[in-house]
Amino acid sequence: MIDVILSQIAAGLVLGGLYVLIATGLSIIFGILGIVNFAHGNFFALGAYFTVTLFDYLGWPAAIAAPLLVGIVGMAVERTLIRRLYDKEPLVSLIVTFALALMIEALLRLVYGGIGQPFSAPPIFTGIYLWGPILITKYRLFVFLTTLVILVAIWAFMEFTPFGRILRAGSRDPEMVGLLGIPLPRVLTVTFGFGCCIAGIAGVLAAPLWTVTPSMSEGAIMPAFVVVTIGGLGSFGGAIIAGLLVGIVSALTIQFQPDAATAMMYIFMAVVLLIRPRGLLGERWERFE
Amino acid sequence: MNKTSNRPAVLSGFGRRELLLGAGGVAASSLGTPARAADDSIKIGLLLAKTGDIAAQTEYLANGAMLALEQRGGKIMGKPASLVWYDEPSPQGAQQNMEKLVQEAGVAAILGGALSSSALAEQATAARLKIPFIINNAAATDISGKNCNRYTFRLNTPVQVQADMFAPYLLSQGKKWYFLTAAYAFGQDIAKSFKEILAKAGGTVVGDDSVPLNTPDYSSFILKIRAAKPDIILGGVPAGDLSTFLKQWNEMGMRGSIPICEIAIGDTDIWSVGPTAATGLFTSLWWYTNPNNPKDEQDFAAAYLKKHGKPAADKAWMGWITAKSLFDSMDAANSTNPDAIIAALEAWKGGTAENPYYYRKADHQLMLKNLVIQVKPKITDKWDYFDVKGLVPSNSADLDKVFGDPIANGCKMT
Repeated sequence: MIDVILSQIAAGLVLGGLYVLIATGLSIIFGILGIVNFAHGNFFALGAYFTVTLFDYLGWPAAIAAPLLVGIVGMAVERTLIRRLYDKEPLVSLIVTFALALMIEALLRLVYGGIGQPFSAPPIFTGIYLWGPILITKYRLFVFLTTLVILVAIWAFMEFTPFGRILRAGSRDPEMVGLLGIPLPRVLTVTFGFGCCIAGIAGVLAAPLWTVTPSMSEGAIMPAFVVVTIGGLGSFGGAIIAGLLVGIVSALTIQFQPDAATAMMYIFMAVVLLIRPRGLLGERWERFE
Repeated sequence: MNKTSNRPAVLSGFGRRELLLGAGGVAASSLGTPARAADDSIKIGLLLAKTGDIAAQTEYLANGAMLALEQRGGKIMGKPASLVWYDEPSPQGAQQNMEKLVQEAGVAAILGGALSSSALAEQATAARLKIPFIINNAAATDISGKNCNRYTFRLNTPVQVQADMFAPYLLSQGKKWYFLTAAYAFGQDIAKSFKEILAKAGGTVVGDDSVPLNTPDYSSFILKIRAAKPDIILGGVPAGDLSTFLKQWNEMGMRGSIPICEIAIGDTDIWSVGPTAATGLFTSLWWYTNPNNPKDEQDFAAAYLKKHGKPAADKAWMGWITAKSLFDSMDAANSTNPDAIIAALEAWKGGTAENPYYYRKADHQLMLKNLVIQVKPKITDKWDYFDVKGLVPSNSADLDKVFGDPIANGCKMT
């Protein structure tokens, strides 16, 4: 039985890694902009669609171009729509971003139709590794390692760069940051684009695994919200721990009670919130109190 | 999330893209304004999901219905006609939209029912509203079994019947089966039907997983299947979920190792997988390159290709043939009276003299042979994925026997 459990934990870690990536962008946007972005899953879907489309023209460099393009789309959305929400009630941003999610899905359906877009991993990632009882495919290992590298890069960026410090300061006291002469609106535009870009990277990585359809965002957005909630709203480290835990919980549930695999994620969230209402690493944020 | 648009999209005169735009919520802009047809025009309701994974299939169902209307010059009973498309976001939401179609849009009949869970709810509403309703996709056995009613007709072959038709092909592969079925009506129906067949044949269930809808990752399920070493996987996961499973099955190096078998799949489910990952043995109602397709179906396939630039999927044919049967019947009845339409539908016949299909009067089930299709070992064409392995039952005289006695199936027509 221990063999089976180890295999499922390995599978859960890979799935969790993808959830972490999706949730990280959501967490950054919420933490710094204070916006609960219901359309985040749709930026994930855009990453997958841009990859499939650009692949015909660029080949595999499309995997780099696509998330950048998602980031640019994100910045355009922030400039035209999101920035009007900063001084509004949270409910308004929920409604507007929900409408944005519907619109992006409708646009994808309009351009590509409802049928899934075939897309596979590059041949170099074909094959599996077997370590004792643990089976992992080359592509999933690549996804996991890529996720780790990106998360370390984000952490280093936030901790050690001037822009990262501005972001962290702006998330706590935007007024003071503005008084120091820092153009916060521009910072927020870049931040929203950055969060969308990370969702786009997750979309690129998921394209060979998931069916690329306009509704693929639904499979991303709910786990992302669960991960962010469990980890603690706005907590980068919390999102990482929560994402991996959610992946493992889902995988182990599939082994023992498969029809409860989706529900267990929510039960896990409820249990965590009962014990720690702010989430695992959630802190008290003055501006949200 | 409930992504519902209740605003009607009047289909006559619009292209697919405009319709889909309206479908997704963008309809709140200019396209959302319903273009009212003339007072004496005929309106037919479409009740099909506009979002979610099933939308990949409903797009084709709607396209087929639209083409059926276009092929007759946009007229039914010599009058201008249009299709009004409402969403079926959930069983309850679908029932509400069906009421709106009848009471607000004034439709004469309704085509729809993409998912079994919704269709089962919709057919009860159709009986209450006394509106002819043809279910063009759902396959749950109870639709033409214990839930049958005189206002509801159904195209797809019931799960139990498809299971009986398919069983000889599956048992020839081995008797150790792994069940991977969706945790809703369609999947549960498949699991129940095939378990009975396997038990009678003396086989063994070596695994039985009920899968939540919209599962994004199947790696944990695949690990279980790999460990169980079954002779076949008996699938019952719908639409995009099947595509995702097949993609990940291939990604985990399992393609070709264990046959994957499933009934009532859609061509789009397999097209979405791509040629490198597609695999499986399936039942289907129609395949666009089948040389035995009758002349009018070949014409439909050609017209669809010309209009949409891609072949007609089986779902397009299902949308087309149900719409055609309704329009033909309304022409024959020359009336929008529900009783007259029902009588005409009961008398309608399609196909050829050698291979006819028709709605059985006792349960309103379309009596139709099924195809057994298999993904080609090597796919060289972007769309041509399947070899037709057989037609079941091979003899038309066996249709009644295969579909079973309506009374024994639980149908008491009310």
